[in-house]
Amino acid sequence: MYDNEYFVVDLGNCTTTGEIINNLSLALETLNHTGKSIVLKLNDNYLNQSQLLSIQSLITSYGCSLDTIETTNPETIAIVENMNIFVQKPIEKRVADKYDTQEEINSFQPFSMPKAEEKKDIIALKDVNNLHFEADLDALKRQQESIDISSDLKEAGINPKEDFHTIDYQVSSQYTRPQEVLNEADNFSKSDTAVFVQQNMSKAATMELEKEFENAEKNSIGVYKKAYDENNFQEDSWEEVDFYETATTSPVISDSKSTTYVNQTLRSGQILESEGNVVIIGDCHPGSEIRAIGDITVWGVLSGIAHAGMSGNTNAKIRALKMNAVQLRIGSCYSRRPDGTNIPYILRSSIFTPEEARVVDGEIMLFKINQN
Amino acid sequence: MAGSVIVITSGKGGVGKTTTSANIGTALANLGNKVVLIDTDIGLRNLDLLLGLENRIVYTIVDVVEERCKLKQALVKDKKNPNLCLLAAAQTRDKSAVDSDQLKNICEQLKEEFDYVLVDCPAGIEQGFQNAVAGANEAIVVTTPEMSAIRDADRIIGLLESKEGVERYRLLVNRVRPKLIKSNDMMGVDDVVEILSCDLIGVIPEDMNIITSTNKGEPVVNDEKSLAGAAYINVARRITGEEVPLLDIDVPTTLMEKIKKFFSKKAQG
Repeated sequence: MYDNEYFVVDLGNCTTTGEIINNLSLALETLNHTGKSIVLKLNDNYLNQSQLLSIQSLITSYGCSLDTIETTNPETIAIVENMNIFVQKPIEKRVADKYDTQEEINSFQPFSMPKAEEKKDIIALKDVNNLHFEADLDALKRQQESIDISSDLKEAGINPKEDFHTIDYQVSSQYTRPQEVLNEADNFSKSDTAVFVQQNMSKAATMELEKEFENAEKNSIGVYKKAYDENNFQEDSWEEVDFYETATTSPVISDSKSTTYVNQTLRSGQILESEGNVVIIGDCHPGSEIRAIGDITVWGVLSGIAHAGMSGNTNAKIRALKMNAVQLRIGSCYSRRPDGTNIPYILRSSIFTPEEARVVDGEIMLFKINQN
Repeated sequence: MAGSVIVITSGKGGVGKTTTSANIGTALANLGNKVVLIDTDIGLRNLDLLLGLENRIVYTIVDVVEERCKLKQALVKDKKNPNLCLLAAAQTRDKSAVDSDQLKNICEQLKEEFDYVLVDCPAGIEQGFQNAVAGANEAIVVTTPEMSAIRDADRIIGLLESKEGVERYRLLVNRVRPKLIKSNDMMGVDDVVEILSCDLIGVIPEDMNIITSTNKGEPVVNDEKSLAGAAYINVARRITGEEVPLLDIDVPTTLMEKIKKFFSKKAQG
C-alpha cells in the first residue's frame, strides 16, 4: 500500500505559474516517486482552476496522485476545495524545520479528514440513540424544577433578580437595525455595544462597488474546518495531560452581563437575540438565527446561523452537541459550512460529537470541547 | 441592449415554480447567457436550496431594499456556472418587507447587466405576486394538468393581462404523465392549452430525478439522463428565440406499440 507515502514538493518560493510547473516537473523527474501521494506547498501563490487541473494531470502523468495542497491564498483554497483536493494551511515553521532529511519528509503524514464511508457505522447506532436526546431533556427539565436556588441565595444575601437576572429575549420575525447608527458609524463609542455592532456591519456595507457587474462579487466567506484529527486525537491527549498542573488552575468565569436560557426548538425564520450569553436546550433548525453579544451554547443540533460576539468580540465561542451550522459568525469573522457536508435528517440526533468554534488567526475553526 | 425580465408564476402552490426557475435559469446560463434569479418568496425561501447555495447567503433582497448593502454584494454566484447569480429572499421577514416599486427598481438595475432576469413568484395573488410581477415584461405561467391548477392559472392569466408591463405570457405544463393521458385518467396537454387559450412554451414530464436533485441541491438540467432536464433545456432554448419541437415524452407501453411507433417514425422521416 502506498496510501501512507507522501512526497512534499515545496513551491513556496516560485512567483510565476511557469516557474511552478517547471520546478514541479523537475522534482518529479529527478526523483522517482511513482505511486506516491504528492503534497504541494504553494504559500500565497494564486492558481486558477485550469492551472490546478493541468498541475493535477501533470502529476498523474508521472504515476503519482495529488493529495494535499498547502496554501494561504483564500481564492486558491476555494478552488482547490471545489476540486475535492484536501487543503491544509502550512504547518508551523518550527515543525517544518524538523524535516531536513529525505526520510523524514517521506514519513510526513498530513492529517486527513475521516472519509464518508468510515462514518457508516453510525447508522447502526441509530436505534439505540434516537431516544437519547429527548430523555436527557426531560431529566433536565425535572432537575430545573426541583432546584429552587432563590431561597438559598436570599440567605446568602444575594438578590436573585439583580445578580442572576435572565434577560428578556425575543423570538421575533421582525428585526430592524437602528438606522441613525448606520449613518453615524464614524462617531461610534466603544462603550456602546450596539453601536459597535453597527460599525462592523456598515464597514462591509460601504465596501467599494465596482462598476462592472461582470465580476459579480466572489463569495468572500471562508469555510470553517475541523482543527483536529478525529482518529488520532484521543491517543495523543493521554500522554500530554499533566494532572497536577490542571488541578491547580482556577475555572474561567465569563464576565458577560447575563445568560439567556431558552428551552425550545428554534425553527426556520425565528431569530433569537441576546445581550449576553445564550444557552439553548433544543435544536436550531436551518433558517433560524441566533445573535448574541456573548457566547452561544446549543444543547442539541445547531443547523442554522449562529453569530456570537456581535459586538466585534472575536474571543466569543459557539458550542454545540452537533455542529451542522449553515454559517458560523464570530465577531466580524464569517464562515460557511463546507459544501457537501450537510448531515442528512436521519443521522442528526443519532450521535453527538460536541464541538466548539473559535477564531484562530482570523479563521473560524472547530475544536473538540476543552481542546487547546 | 437591456435584458428581459421573466416572472415565473402559477397561482397555485406546489406545481413547480421554484424547480422551473432553478432549471430554466441554469439551462439559460449553460447556453452562455448571463442570468440572475430573484427569489421573491420572502419568509419561505427555497430557491437557494435547489441551487445548493444555502450556505453562501449573507445579504438578502431585504438588505438591498433597506440599503444595508449594495445590490452587487447580495448576488450569490453559482458554484458551477459563473454566468448564474442568485438574489436570495430573507427567511426571517415576510412579504410586506418589500414593495412593488422597490422590486421594479431592482429588476431595472439588473436588466442592464444581465441577459435574463428570472423572478420566482410566490404562490397566491397577494402582495408577493404583485411585487414579483411589477418589473416583469414577460411571464411564464406554470400549471399541471389538474382542474385546480388550471383554474388558478386562468385567474393568473387574467391578472397578467390587466398588468401594463407584461407584454407576453406563455404556458408551461408541468408534471405530465403520458401513461395516464393515454388511459384517459389525466387531461392532455392539448386540452389544457385549449382551456386556457394561451401559447405553449413547453411540456415537462413527471420525473423521479427532480426529487433527488432537489435534495442534492443540483438542478436536474445538469443531469444528462433526465427527461425532465432535457425538456427544461428545450424551454430555455425557446426563451432565447430558437424554434425547438416539443420533446417526445410519449412512452410506448406494449411491445406491439413500440414496433408500431418505430415504423410510423420511419414512414414520417
